[in-house]
Amino acid sequence: MASIVRPALLRQACNAAPTKRMASNLASSTMRHASPLSRRPMQSAFVQDALPKASRVAAFHATGCRPILPPLPQKIEGTLNDPTPIPDPAPTHGSYHWSFERLVSAGLVPLCVAPFAAGSLNPAMDATLCALLLVHSHIGFESCIIDYFPSRRVPGVRIFLTWLLRAATVTVGVALYSFETNDVGITEAITKIWHA
Amino acid sequence: MATTRALTRLAVRRTAVPAVWTRSFASVDTTPREPIAKAGDPSRPTVPESKTSTIKEPTPAKEAKTKTFHIYRWNPDEPSSKPRMQSYTLDLNKTGPMVLDALIRIKNEVDPTLTFRRSCREGICGSCAMNIDGVNTLACLCRIPTDTSKESRIYPLPHTYVVKDLVPDLTHFYKQYRSIKPYLQRNTPPPDGRENRQSIADRKKLDGLYECILCACCSTSCPSYWWNQEEYLGPAVLLQSYRWIADSRDEKKAERQDALNNSMSLYRCHTILNCSRTCPKGLNPALAIAEIKKGMSFT
Repeated sequence: MASIVRPALLRQACNAAPTKRMASNLASSTMRHASPLSRRPMQSAFVQDALPKASRVAAFHATGCRPILPPLPQKIEGTLNDPTPIPDPAPTHGSYHWSFERLVSAGLVPLCVAPFAAGSLNPAMDATLCALLLVHSHIGFESCIIDYFPSRRVPGVRIFLTWLLRAATVTVGVALYSFETNDVGITEAITKIWHA
Repeated sequence: MATTRALTRLAVRRTAVPAVWTRSFASVDTTPREPIAKAGDPSRPTVPESKTSTIKEPTPAKEAKTKTFHIYRWNPDEPSSKPRMQSYTLDLNKTGPMVLDALIRIKNEVDPTLTFRRSCREGICGSCAMNIDGVNTLACLCRIPTDTSKESRIYPLPHTYVVKDLVPDLTHFYKQYRSIKPYLQRNTPPPDGRENRQSIADRKKLDGLYECILCACCSTSCPSYWWNQEEYLGPAVLLQSYRWIADSRDEKKAERQDALNNSMSLYRCHTILNCSRTCPKGLNPALAIAEIKKGMSFT
């Protein structure tokens, strides 16, 4: 209780002190410091003054501040003892998605090696390689978007980029389809560029 | 009782060793010393200061191994001032071998305003986790690099809200830990009504999981956790989650897996493996996360 009362008493004393002094010497320069407490707090007495100031306190930011996406102030949901909310299970975005992604990645390995070993095999194999590459890169870019553009922070950008990625994937899919059907195919194209 | 005591005293007397070999608690020399002044003499000369001291002046160090530590400082009481790095130089000959010793010595002798967490100083409490020379580790388990030409830099755990100086705010981390229900969940009583027994092989599955002290070194070294710590649980919490998923006595394995089965909680792990590299206890959180993913795949 005493510790609560004491600052209040101190403040009263400090406010009272200058008024007494002003009554006696009104023109004094102490007018600037109306109260001892209103002055800027002194630097900590423990900071050493032996070293020159420049070497003691190095600037933390050497470059100018450019807040691209500055962190928001800390927000704690609920009380300190509440657990964080547990999301509803969504296997299509969780375990199924992960299994599918691993299958695609594993399937790409022999599909990439086989044309090296045996040359361009047949259009069906070529089409499978194209399709898996497309799906693989789509999953990879989608993961980047989820990681770096969280919807809780930049919801508009997140939606825009998701749809941009979908559009790009469809465009590339159509382009690859026409390349496979009307031209030599992806394996043959790489072979030609390699030997060019 | 009295006879016992007497016998003990006798036994002690019988086995008493010469006074030269014994160690007393205070060092008492038996050679008689001249009294500083005669007690009752009022005209005795004053005792010079050099004679009153009981300990010798510390001799200045011959080969001082001075090392500079740059330490992150930020004080919440001065909210307008930016974080800064403050330099302290210590003589390593007078400092303990670990970084925590250096920090404690700085706080004791140089700057009492330096703030950090510490408790057990032997790597079992996980309080003194901080970023030392770019690596998240426990200050009590990290030796001071003896190369005095290089300067050490000490920061709080990266991408955490800082309470003060080297003290990070781990509230969210603990809330996440709470969300995985880190306790045994059973509905059926044990068959013999006494204990939940476990085979030796089942117990072996928990080795490397139960040792985690939740120092948050691994979670705060994970880039995925840096970007998405509001939703991604992070390596430390997932390791603990696997500790309960792998426990043969726990009966809520499916519920635990369902809680992780979404886009963010578990699958933001991209096997960067910073967690396994930085763990000061030598555990492997990445392996535990991989085991969770393996257990949930094709289900």
